Amino acid sequence: MLTADLVRPRLRLRGAELSIDMLDEHSPAWLQTAKELIALLQEHVGQPLAIWDGALESYVGERIDYVVVRGLAKVLTDAATFMPLETPLPPVQLRERLFAHGPVFATPQLFQPRARYEVMQSVAGELGISSQEMEAALFADRPATYLLKDAGFEWTEEALLARYNLELARGVLYWASHITIEVSSNYKDLWRYIKFFKLMFWAKPKQGGGYRIDLDGPISPFVSSTLRYGRQMAAFLPALLLCERWQLLAQVRPPQARGEMTYRLDSTCSLRSFFKSSGLFDSRLEADFASEFEQKMGGKRGHWRLARESEVLLLGDTVMIPDFILTDDRDENRKIMIELVGFWHPQYLRRKIEKVRAANCASLLLLVYNGLNVTEEAFQGVASEVIFFQNKPVLKEVLERIETMAERLYGPRRKKTRVSEKRRKAKRKRGGDIADETTGER
Amino acid sequence: MGKSVYYQGGTLVLRDVDAQERPPAPFKLIRERWRCEGYHYGTIQSYLQEQDVRDSVPRWQPLNLEMQEAREAHDYQVAALAAWDMAGQRGSIVLPTGAGKTFVAIQAINLVNRSTIVVAPTIDLLHQWYARLVNAFGSEVGVYYSSEKKILPLTVTTYHSAGDLIAEYGNAFKLIIFDEVHHLPAPSWGEAALMAPAPLRLGLTATYPEEHEQTNGRWRVDDLVGPIVYTKRIEDLVGQQLAHYRTQRLRVDLTNEERSHYEADHSIYISFVRSRQLQRSHGSGWLMELMRLSAIDQQARRALLARQRLLQLLASCEGKFTALEALLREYIAERVLIFTEHNAVVYDIACRHLVPAITHESSAAERKHILDGFQAGHYRVIVTSRVLNEGVDVPEAKVAIVLGGTSGAREYIQRLGRVLRKVENRQAVLYEVIVRRTIEESKSQRRRTWQEGD
Repeated sequence: MLTADLVRPRLRLRGAELSIDMLDEHSPAWLQTAKELIALLQEHVGQPLAIWDGALESYVGERIDYVVVRGLAKVLTDAATFMPLETPLPPVQLRERLFAHGPVFATPQLFQPRARYEVMQSVAGELGISSQEMEAALFADRPATYLLKDAGFEWTEEALLARYNLELARGVLYWASHITIEVSSNYKDLWRYIKFFKLMFWAKPKQGGGYRIDLDGPISPFVSSTLRYGRQMAAFLPALLLCERWQLLAQVRPPQARGEMTYRLDSTCSLRSFFKSSGLFDSRLEADFASEFEQKMGGKRGHWRLARESEVLLLGDTVMIPDFILTDDRDENRKIMIELVGFWHPQYLRRKIEKVRAANCASLLLLVYNGLNVTEEAFQGVASEVIFFQNKPVLKEVLERIETMAERLYGPRRKKTRVSEKRRKAKRKRGGDIADETTGER
Repeated sequence: MGKSVYYQGGTLVLRDVDAQERPPAPFKLIRERWRCEGYHYGTIQSYLQEQDVRDSVPRWQPLNLEMQEAREAHDYQVAALAAWDMAGQRGSIVLPTGAGKTFVAIQAINLVNRSTIVVAPTIDLLHQWYARLVNAFGSEVGVYYSSEKKILPLTVTTYHSAGDLIAEYGNAFKLIIFDEVHHLPAPSWGEAALMAPAPLRLGLTATYPEEHEQTNGRWRVDDLVGPIVYTKRIEDLVGQQLAHYRTQRLRVDLTNEERSHYEADHSIYISFVRSRQLQRSHGSGWLMELMRLSAIDQQARRALLARQRLLQLLASCEGKFTALEALLREYIAERVLIFTEHNAVVYDIACRHLVPAITHESSAAERKHILDGFQAGHYRVIVTSRVLNEGVDVPEAKVAIVLGGTSGAREYIQRLGRVLRKVENRQAVLYEVIVRRTIEESKSQRRRTWQEGD
């Protein structure tokens, strides 16, 4: 992460709005600088950090844009690995032995008859190493002497400029006391990261879909505008970039501002995440269920459409995101949610059951692996329905239960009407989405 | 499940208590749950008991330490501890500097005998607490600050890092001790005290804040720690030790080559500062202004770089090393403390003369080892870049050598002057090594005039 001195000069304050002077990622001059820095770091593989720092200072020279150049270099070094030299003995032990003889001088003295090299030689001899080895190892635990093992990442010029811009945006969030985001996709990753960075959230569904989420920390309501959680918010930002459509509004207090400023960012910005989107499926079980469903009930073979993790159940200070949502293709209000409870640790299972109970959701169907040592009693009083399975959920059984649940919750399924029949045929002729023809009449 | 209270990042949260219920005042209904700041933990006890609320906050444990402290307590220290104990093991003890506040704290930890966190203002003081606690209890002590994070039932931290530690592990400590408790009104410093659920609290200071300094609009020191339970004024203490040392200034020369580099850089730097009249227009903020200009003005950038080069040259010019070597030879049988602000120079000296170094990079354990070794005579010389603040035990040294001229060195001299105590009736000597006909000399001249006029 960039240090404050590298972020501060890049901020622009206009009234109560704060913006960042980001780099043009296509600027030939900056691409050139990026290229030179990447090459410079490569040249220093195997060299100590202090040498790289010196080389960087020479490279920066009299440039007045040194704040940016150092910022770019910081992004590079943060991704690189520096390792201490391996020493025959811990440096701290060497020092303890050696410094008992100090102070020594280059030449023998009246009260210190042994010169420096003699002391080095004799102590090295006692320890069974050479005096060169000892010289190198003496302060090998100081970060300045760490060696650059590898540059960490196959940087391209473009990637470096892009990452620098992202780090500037994160830098602003160091001074954030509160952020509000609006999102409408990829909740699973978002919540995973909110939890990971130990932020507190408060989510409300938005009209027209999506959520508005307030993020701060436990003590925030008691200490107005604490900057305690800025670091976590900065760390969290790349998770937001994983979403497709989003907006961010941050209350920030950078040191040069008098009062609170507002920083805005949304999905039209050019920033890209370097966090990985989690895979489509969390487990083999889920993947198998989805593919079996597609195979047997997908397309025209059934009237339920299967979607992944597209709904969020808000449970106060936590959320539950069911694995699958089944939507009736004739009436999108007819929805059944499915949660697969697979081969889990008992602790995790206990929390899951607590959540299911809190969700109090009648349209949720739980498919529970019965090797979990969990009995039907554990689900007593839970509003959701439960099916136990042996090896894998039996699709036929699941579908039958879904039909009865839908019937109970939403009443009988709407009959096909002539109008809709005509429309559908018309649609098919135009080559639009293929509507399901086989359902309804069984 | 019944009602319960749990700890969450500096707050106490009630579980399964409805919005309609009315728990006592500190609790506020926030985001559908009743919540309050950690420091109310002590006062909500009666509510928890009356309402049969299960308390899952405490994670503290017995310390089972054995006191190895050989020092005898002074009467006032015994009285201070008793007063704190009587007040329910909460509140502040006000004692003058040097009256043994740490000793009282050690007694308090021993008395409570439960997991304790000590919050110190600086890393130097953290290191000192660490050393004192290790010696007092002969057991391992945790340290939690920017470069070392090891949490044990007895842990020392800084105000700066305390917030993170408390947010994560606040409920693991039953006693919290605030060294220099008068810092608490500062917003970022008091937050940790606000978040910690520790019911037992001890504040230590020589200067308790006045009523109007107590509050910052958000909290009062008395509310966070408890009231003053004991005060001893400086007049009440006899046998004040006075500083006994003399200062000796040594002037060294640059070599011809160094001189020509120096003059070249000095002229680049000074002519810019003069031509823009920075000192006149910006007063003491002129250096900040030069830094600001250096990002937009090529001349300013050159001037700033020239200044950096010449400071570096002055810090590591040959003359200083030669003078240092001569002094080390002269005092070959004495304990010598060497100070320079520049880290690189510290390690250079350590390597050259094979003497231990203390910088911000040194770990608490190694630092303690070095200072103990110095006191015991295992090491005769220490080279350091740390300004040893008031309140930090400076090892007894007969000779201090300050390779200086810079602001840090001047600060060091002033502070060392106050803490260098008379060692066995012998006068201590403080050498200040500066470079003749350079900015160091003029600075040191200025300081003298200022001191005389003071």
